[in-house]
Amino acid sequence: MKLRQEDGAANYEYVTARIRSRRASLFDESDYRKLVRMGPDEIARFMEESEYEREMNALGSRFSGVDLIEYALNENLGKHFDDVLNWTDGEPYGYLARYLRKFDAWNVKTALRGIYSESPPTEIDDDLIEAGELSDDLLGQLVEADSIESAVELLAGTLFSDVLADAYELYEESGILVPLENAIDRAYYTNLYAGLPSDPSRAEELYVEFVEAEIDFRNLRNALRITLSGADIDPAEFCISGGRLFDETELRQLANNPDELVARVRSSTYGEELEDGLDELDDAQDLVAFERALEVALLEYSDTLSSRYPLSVCPVLAYVLAKEREVDNIRAIARGREAGLGPDEIETELVIT
Amino acid sequence: MATDVKPTRKNLMAIEDRIELSEQGHDTLEKKRDGLIMEFMDILDQAKDVRQNVEDQYGRAQRAINMARAMEGDVAVRGAASALTEYPEITTESMNIMGVVVPQIESSKVKKPLDERGYGVLGTSARIDEAADAYEELIETIILAAEVETAMKEMLEEIEKTKRRVNALEFTLLPDLYEGQEYIEQKLEEQEREEIFRMKKIKDKKQEEAEEAEEAAAAEAEAEATASADD
Repeated sequence: MKLRQEDGAANYEYVTARIRSRRASLFDESDYRKLVRMGPDEIARFMEESEYEREMNALGSRFSGVDLIEYALNENLGKHFDDVLNWTDGEPYGYLARYLRKFDAWNVKTALRGIYSESPPTEIDDDLIEAGELSDDLLGQLVEADSIESAVELLAGTLFSDVLADAYELYEESGILVPLENAIDRAYYTNLYAGLPSDPSRAEELYVEFVEAEIDFRNLRNALRITLSGADIDPAEFCISGGRLFDETELRQLANNPDELVARVRSSTYGEELEDGLDELDDAQDLVAFERALEVALLEYSDTLSSRYPLSVCPVLAYVLAKEREVDNIRAIARGREAGLGPDEIETELVIT
Repeated sequence: MATDVKPTRKNLMAIEDRIELSEQGHDTLEKKRDGLIMEFMDILDQAKDVRQNVEDQYGRAQRAINMARAMEGDVAVRGAASALTEYPEITTESMNIMGVVVPQIESSKVKKPLDERGYGVLGTSARIDEAADAYEELIETIILAAEVETAMKEMLEEIEKTKRRVNALEFTLLPDLYEGQEYIEQKLEEQEREEIFRMKKIKDKKQEEAEEAEEAAAAEAEAEATASADD
C-alpha cells in the first residue's frame, strides 16, 4: 500500500460512522468464550464463517492449522487498516497514516531479521503485514536484498533512512541487529508526534494525548523490563522521548529503584487505570501481567477518549487498537489451544474491554 | 591348565608368586570397584537432579515459548529468534576421578543481557524475554546434564571393566592358579613318596643281598670246616 498525501478537509463524521459499524462487527466476549472452548480446527472453521472468510480461503492452499489462522489474521488486519485509510481525508488521514507506520517498522525489522538469518525471501515475505506506507515493490526488493547493507540502502528516502544509516555503524561493530531494530522503533515513535504545530488544534491535542499515553506505556514497560532483568543497561538509552510521564534523566534515576518507579506511576495520571497491574507487579514481580494491564489501560484510555470526543481522530485510533487486540486475542486462543492450554488459562491472557 | 605345567619346585614357586600378585591385584581392583561405585552413586544422584531440572526447565521453556507464540504471534517469536545467529561457546576440559577421565564442559555466552539478545528492546515485550530467559536456562542445564551424564557413562564403563577384571581374577585366574599349585604339590608329594619307597626298596634289597652274602659266607665257612675235619 502506498499512502497518499494528507490533503482535503477532515471527514470525521463519515469516518467515525463507518468506524462505528466496523467496531460493532468485532468479536465480543461471547465469541471469545465460544472460541476458547474450541480446538484449532474448530476455530479455523469458525473463522471461515466470519469476517475472516476471504483471507482463510485465500491462504488455505498455502498454510494449514494455526499458521493459517495467524496469517489470515495478519492479512485481514492489513485489509481493514487499508479500508480505514481509504475512508479518511485530511487530518485524520495524516494521524492514522503516522500511526500505521508501526507496520512499516514491523516489516523492515522482519526483513532485516530474515536477511540476517539468511531465510528464503518467500518466507520473509509471508511474515510481512501489508498495512503500512512502504510499497509492495520496495518490500519485495527488501526481502530479496542480499545483505543488511543493501537493505539499509534500499530504505533511503523513508522515515527510517537517516537513523538506519547511523545505526548501521553500530551494527557493524556489534554484529547484532539490536542497534538497527531500536533505531527503527525510535524513528517510528519520533515520527508519531514530529512536525505537529506548537499551537495544536483540538484534534491535534487529542492525537498527541493518545500518542503520549502510548509512548509512556512503552517507556514504562521497557524500563521495568530492563530493571527487572538485572542487566547492567542504562534504561535512558531505551527511553523514547515524547511521553509526559518521565524524561531520560528521570527514567535513569527511577530505574535503579523499581519501587520508586512504581510509586511514581501510581501517583501519575495513569495511576487509577494501572492500579491492578501495579499491585500484581508489587506482589509477584509479574511483568507479563503488568504488560497486560498496560494494554488494557491503553485500550480503555482510547475508548474513553473516543467516547468523550466522538467526532475526532480518537475513535479511529481506538478502532485500530481494538482491531489489533481482536487479532491478538484470536491468535492467542488458537495458539493456546494448539499448545494444550485450558480455557481458563487462555481467558486470563486475553485482553477484552 | 593345571596339567600343562611341569610339576617342579621352580614352577610351584612361580605359581605361588603369581598367586600372591593376583590376590593383591584382586584386592586392589575390588577396592577400586567399590570406590568407583561410591563415586558413581554420587554422580548418579547429581545426574538424577540434573535430569529432573532439565525436564522441569524444558516444561517451563516450552510453556514460555507457547505463551509468547500465543500472545506475540509465531511470526514475532520466530523473528526475534532469528535476530541472533551467534551460538554459545562450549569448551571441554578433562578431569580425573579415580583414574577415569571425565569431561568438564564450560559454556559461555549462553545467558545474555537484554541488549545482546539480537532483538530490539523497544519493540518487543516481556513475553519474548521470558521465553529467551527460559531457553537460556534450559541450555545451561542441558550443558551441565551433558557433563554429568557423560561422566556417569564413563564411570559405568570403568566399573564394568573393573568388575570384569575382578571376576576374571576371582573366578578364572586365581582358581586356575590354585589348581595348578595343588597339582604340583600333589605331584611333588607323590614323587617324594615314590622316592621314599624306592629308597626303602633299595635298602631292603641291599639288606637282603648282605644277608645272602653272609649266609653264603657262613655256608662256605661251614663247608671248609667240614672238609678239614674229614682230612
